[in-house]
Amino acid sequence: MKGLTALFLGIFGTFAFSWVGLTVIPNWQIGHLNPQTDEEGTDVYPMPQSGMVTRGARVYAANGCNYCHSEQVRAEYAGADIERKWGDRRSAPRDYIFERPVFLGKMRMGQDLANIGARAPKEEESPSPGGSPAGSPGAAVQSPAPSTEQPKIKGAESPGPSPASQVATSAAATSPTVSPNSPPSKSPAMAGPRTGIASPSPGAAPAAAASPGAPPLTGPPWPEQTAGLPPMYSAAWHHVHLYSPRSINFDSNMPSYRFLYETRRISDARSSDALQLTGSDAPPQGWEIVPTYDAKCLVAYMLALNQSHPLKGVRSAAAPAAGSPAASPSPAPGGQPAK
Amino acid sequence: MNPVGIPLKEPSVSVAAGDTEQLERALIDASTRVPVLIFYTSAVGWLILGTLLAGFVSFKLHTPDLLSDISFLTWGRMRPAHMNVMVYGWASMAGMGTAIWLMARLCRTVLRYPLLLVAGAGFWNLGVLLGVGGILLGDSTGYQWLEFPSYAAIILFVAYSLVASWAVLMFRFRRGEQIYISQWYLLGAFLWFPWLYAAGQLMLFVVPVQGVLQAAVGWWYANNLLFLWFGAIGLGTAYYMIPKVIGRPVYSYHLATIGFWTYALFSSWTGMQRLVDGPFPAWMVTASIAATILTLIPVATVGLNHHMTMQGYFPLMRYSPTLRFTVFGAMSYTVFSLVGVLISLRSVASYVNFTQASIAYSHLGLYAFFTMVIFGSMYYIVPRLIGREWRYASLIKLHFWASAYGIGLMTLMLLAGGLTQGASMENPSLAFSESIESVLPYLRGRSLSGILLTASHFIFAYHFGLMLFGLGRKSTVPTFLNPVESEGAEVAH
Repeated sequence: MKGLTALFLGIFGTFAFSWVGLTVIPNWQIGHLNPQTDEEGTDVYPMPQSGMVTRGARVYAANGCNYCHSEQVRAEYAGADIERKWGDRRSAPRDYIFERPVFLGKMRMGQDLANIGARAPKEEESPSPGGSPAGSPGAAVQSPAPSTEQPKIKGAESPGPSPASQVATSAAATSPTVSPNSPPSKSPAMAGPRTGIASPSPGAAPAAAASPGAPPLTGPPWPEQTAGLPPMYSAAWHHVHLYSPRSINFDSNMPSYRFLYETRRISDARSSDALQLTGSDAPPQGWEIVPTYDAKCLVAYMLALNQSHPLKGVRSAAAPAAGSPAASPSPAPGGQPAK
Repeated sequence: MNPVGIPLKEPSVSVAAGDTEQLERALIDASTRVPVLIFYTSAVGWLILGTLLAGFVSFKLHTPDLLSDISFLTWGRMRPAHMNVMVYGWASMAGMGTAIWLMARLCRTVLRYPLLLVAGAGFWNLGVLLGVGGILLGDSTGYQWLEFPSYAAIILFVAYSLVASWAVLMFRFRRGEQIYISQWYLLGAFLWFPWLYAAGQLMLFVVPVQGVLQAAVGWWYANNLLFLWFGAIGLGTAYYMIPKVIGRPVYSYHLATIGFWTYALFSSWTGMQRLVDGPFPAWMVTASIAATILTLIPVATVGLNHHMTMQGYFPLMRYSPTLRFTVFGAMSYTVFSLVGVLISLRSVASYVNFTQASIAYSHLGLYAFFTMVIFGSMYYIVPRLIGREWRYASLIKLHFWASAYGIGLMTLMLLAGGLTQGASMENPSLAFSESIESVLPYLRGRSLSGILLTASHFIFAYHFGLMLFGLGRKSTVPTFLNPVESEGAEVAH
């Protein structure tokens, strides 16, 4: 066989063809999307992540969460994702423009997490009356009112936060601002007289019990929810779940991430962010288990995962007739309905 | 078939080769000895480490509390560590070892600039070591198959540049106008890999693309690594070993040419089918599904070519370890591609998307196809480097059957488990946790297959170690898997 030049050109050409076709052209097509805004330019979605959330994404990557959890909701025709309440619309390229790395995921040994933040109890997200952000370590990700992100779930549209406060929207629930009903705050800086391990905050149990009847997104994926735990999908709940998954869901296949938590002796008073653990997981008398900063960032990241904001051109199950897919600069993934 | 009539004693294309040609080959083999053995030895070391990691990964998936309290032993770190050790430690290094030897043989020139290769191997080992250490310590980047932190990636790239520049240099010194089909594949692999690696690193880390495109670039990289790097080395090796061992030229050179170009063209366009139903423009996924289906053309031509070459010589697999492993690998290439087409069809993909089936697919490609071909080539090459024959035919047989049954069981378990898992996942009346529970029995079966594979790798590593320490058989006759009856005297072990 002769023609070494032809061989080189062919080797180069086939590769270049694939590179241009599968990375350069898509980059030209959907690689420079901007956030969407409404007419007044206020309701901006998505928002850049910051502070703890970005670091939380690195913790997520470092511990390989992405190998078992996807972060994408497929359209109705493509799977049962929406019926499983993992979201009320399919994911679109615009949802991810600030994600880096992007964890679309390829395996579901665990639930989809694209909307795990949207499933957090409302009180964690709503603007807290008394929560003073001042001394919080998460000051960079101060808690605005992200309830704008779920206007269609709850009729209760929150008073629109100013654009400035929205910058941190997605980081909302990470901040330790606390409403009266919320579980113990995670902020060590605010080690106030909050209830500790032993007594879950008064609102916790009712909230958990009520969750099956709650808005669709908060429906639990398994029937049993141990009483006395923090409200499902709240920050405190995530910490207990990460620390001891099988104390919450007996069938869970998730490894525990105890190395993200610290067992320490209680010095004066119980830390406000100590985990509410029961049974064999509970620390010995006089000790408490608190999340490390990495664990807090990880939970902040998860609570920031929220694609419930309507997107133009993406039909939403909760708010149908939101527009035709053709309006989107990104063609509908999957294109034609398969069935 | 009468074993006397087949050229088992001197596995060579040129049966009538003169002494000079044999001498020349021996000289070339001797010149490749140090670099190739460095690559092989490192690769076997990584193989053992990767196997141990794989065992943990497999068991922890159905026994999540096993060793989960130590950060660097958590499942989510061991899994990328396992994958990267296997991909960059074992498969890449063993593949490069074989490719280097083949390049020297096919260019018919003694190996020049061995220091380039020795340095390349050293840097490569360092890169993999740092990368795996980084992953275990929590520095993973989170991109599939590109988890190595940037400090390791740079070292890998430097190491690779040394090896690739050596390959290009060797090509300039080649003798003879003929460029054998294996050289096409090898040259392709040597040139595609750095472009691919550089493109992946650039688009994900240096000038990162936006949002979901990172996932597209990631899958484009992973799939092309599988096809254009491992696949090309594997096919090139098979195109050399099969004709060489049976002493018969490739059935059709024309088919081989068609196979090569269609392979380069179509397989490089696959990858996006893994993103089916995801947040991407539909045409990307559709293009990759079409390309995956079109890869049936190279599969058919390559498969037909190998089959016609082997026609009438299949009984030789009873004797030659190289042939047995290589033919198993070549057949697995067909199975791998067929499974790839099957799971990328939209109707099937909606069931196997997000399930263990994709793990079955990558193991079919990396293990059943590539690794088995490379094992075969090592059984052929190592005796020629060391001047001793493999010591125990029984160990080779054990290695083969443990590997073959192991990977067969693993594939079946993961495919069946994936289908079950997907069927329960797509049924919203079943709780999500039921889809996990439905796959657990299959995962335990997979762990069983992992025990087989672990045994096979330890056997191979032990045997390879014996060879390395000069404890092979001193003989002029290769070690056959079964005694060649009519020769009577030669009973291996």
